[in-house]
Amino acid sequence: MTDRRRINGPPGGTRPPVFASSIKPTTVAAERPQRQRQPNELRKIFLKTGLIPSASGSSYLEFEPSASLSAARASPQSVIPPSSSLKLACTVHGPKPLARSATFSPNLVLTTHVKYAPFAARQRKGHIRDASERDLGVHLETALRGAIVAERWPKSGLDITITVLEAEDDRWWADAPDSHDAAWGMMNVLAGCITAASAAIADARIDCLDLVAGGVAAVVADETAERGVSAPRLMLDTDPADHRSTLSACVVAYMPARDEITELWLKGDISKASVGIDDKNLTHEALIDGAVDAARGAHSVLAEAVRESAERFAGLSSGKST
Amino acid sequence: MASSAAVSTAPPALSLPPSQFARLQPHAYLLAHLSPPASSQQPSIRANGRAPSQFRVTSTNTGSLTHTNGSSVVRLGDTTAVCGIKAEILHTEDIASWSVSHSSSSSTPNKRRKLTNPTEKPGEDRQDGSDEVEDDDSYIEDFSLLVPNLSLSTGCAPGFIPGAPPSALAQSLSHRVLSLLHSSRLVRSEDLEIWYQRPNLGPEELERHNEDEQMDVDVEQDGSGSVGETREIKAFWVLYIDIMIISLAGNPFDAAWTAVLAALRDTKLPRAWWHADNETVICSDLVSEARRLSLRGLPVASSFRVFEADAASGWRAVIVPDAEEERKIAESDRKGIQRRWVLADPDGYEEGLAQERVCLVIDKDQRQNGKVVIVKMEKNGGFAVDRKELKELVAVSAQRWEEINKILGQC
Repeated sequence: MTDRRRINGPPGGTRPPVFASSIKPTTVAAERPQRQRQPNELRKIFLKTGLIPSASGSSYLEFEPSASLSAARASPQSVIPPSSSLKLACTVHGPKPLARSATFSPNLVLTTHVKYAPFAARQRKGHIRDASERDLGVHLETALRGAIVAERWPKSGLDITITVLEAEDDRWWADAPDSHDAAWGMMNVLAGCITAASAAIADARIDCLDLVAGGVAAVVADETAERGVSAPRLMLDTDPADHRSTLSACVVAYMPARDEITELWLKGDISKASVGIDDKNLTHEALIDGAVDAARGAHSVLAEAVRESAERFAGLSSGKST
Repeated sequence: MASSAAVSTAPPALSLPPSQFARLQPHAYLLAHLSPPASSQQPSIRANGRAPSQFRVTSTNTGSLTHTNGSSVVRLGDTTAVCGIKAEILHTEDIASWSVSHSSSSSTPNKRRKLTNPTEKPGEDRQDGSDEVEDDDSYIEDFSLLVPNLSLSTGCAPGFIPGAPPSALAQSLSHRVLSLLHSSRLVRSEDLEIWYQRPNLGPEELERHNEDEQMDVDVEQDGSGSVGETREIKAFWVLYIDIMIISLAGNPFDAAWTAVLAALRDTKLPRAWWHADNETVICSDLVSEARRLSLRGLPVASSFRVFEADAASGWRAVIVPDAEEERKIAESDRKGIQRRWVLADPDGYEEGLAQERVCLVIDKDQRQNGKVVIVKMEKNGGFAVDRKELKELVAVSAQRWEEINKILGQC
């Protein structure tokens, strides 16, 4: 059935373009992006609050483009981007009275919406939120619920809306989906959502126990020149497009001051991968610790953004009184 | 500020800071700014500090989104629109009415369709008439090759519930963008066509040509006229134009349209050809072979609202003022008491106070010494703007065209 509230494309449907190089993948194998960072080196994060004045709180988050992407931007050769970098905008509306029809709640009622823009991913996304976007919303809600002091706003609601303008890839675009494949890009998106939402909540002056930062770590295997796929290694803040295969990934929402994890999401199986590998550190625990380390890194950016927001607020209120 | 001066005369217990006065008495607040007391020697200025015909600071940035063929971010004051264009391919075999319209069109005196008619000579140059007005763009509308959608459910302003179906405002804005794209004929149909020249070669030549016989969409091969008459459209590019209003503080249409304009100017389509063996369209991934759209002109939208001193104007039935009223207004005009203000590029606060709206879409014809062309004119909600005011607004919009032209030229 067509959506009568939107402008629909041709009724027969359209097909995404097929590129000549993806028919003959041998010609592009050399162009596979490689991770240029150290295993524990994080991408730079751009985080700014208060860009959307009509909202009570807002933030905009952007990941630093990978080396391959910035090289492709500087001297474009192919119209197919090698990888992508996360860009998202987050708004917070509230606290506001709950709808009349809502049941009584002694706490602040948190609602989260995560929506990809139709142009956010390699394949066009629909206008209606799909199951994965709803799932992201639920993950985000659990990550934030533990941090907000909800008793301070009885009978109130808080709406958090995230628009993902550009998402991360799940794998390198020319790779065929394999058995290890999953929506790895989603985990990076979730980590970004958590950090951005936390900044926006602080920008809306909602009382929180601590700033929640998101972090990702993954066990990845890369292609090496001499013997095919290398031994799996633990890396922080992975871009799935950079690696031959991702075996397992973990995203945490972490509050550094209290050393608490409010949300943990681990995907993939590393038990098989670690068999026959002398590295005894490749356990789930190490993976979670890695994600926490990544979250600590994001936290420093988050704290700086919140400080800027507080300074702006202080400037505004002192300006008002004069 | 005018209002704080007015308030300070009240007893101290009742004095309010300007921001609260603005919320409690929005109409009086704006009116006090626009008609300051003659004794104060202050100019008439809007509550946001702009002159009535002044637009907000506009900035654009293009090409920052990775997965799009063209993208733009436009900030119009506090209103932000992000536009991303993704191109997909529509095969003619997927168009239900293609074969029908295809065969029936042979009798129409239409150059483009004649080309596809096997009885005609196909060798005539498609490029020669490309700038002529009678160019055929009916494909764009008939097969909906441009698909603009505007989304307000991004938390851009309180009141738009995220996750809900598009509001009436979002639907109307999407539709206005679509109808303006069609009526301004901004995008050329020929930019979206993917042609196929069936090779008329011997079997041994065919083999050699398998690699490079693929016909470019707009490059005419030498002597193609003599080769054969089988040149046909195999597919179209469909441009999905999605506009996300990230922040809404009034005047979403101007922001959205400027974003569409900037994104279309940024759009690059890869070279595409029909691959006869695979029976599909293949694109080249080389940037050097991709080409930009050649747009027709630069239609720039500017919106206005009319603010009336009469606070009840919003409730009043919209009727043409009688002679008596007309005379009163003319008299007050003579005395220098202005009763109506046309506000350019209204922000959210002003939109709530002014009912009558005017939207002008202006282009300047570069071939005729920058002659102003009115692409669209829309006026509703009141009777304050008449012929004389509209003429003035066209002049203001023409200035705005220069501004936008400069801003878009920079990115």
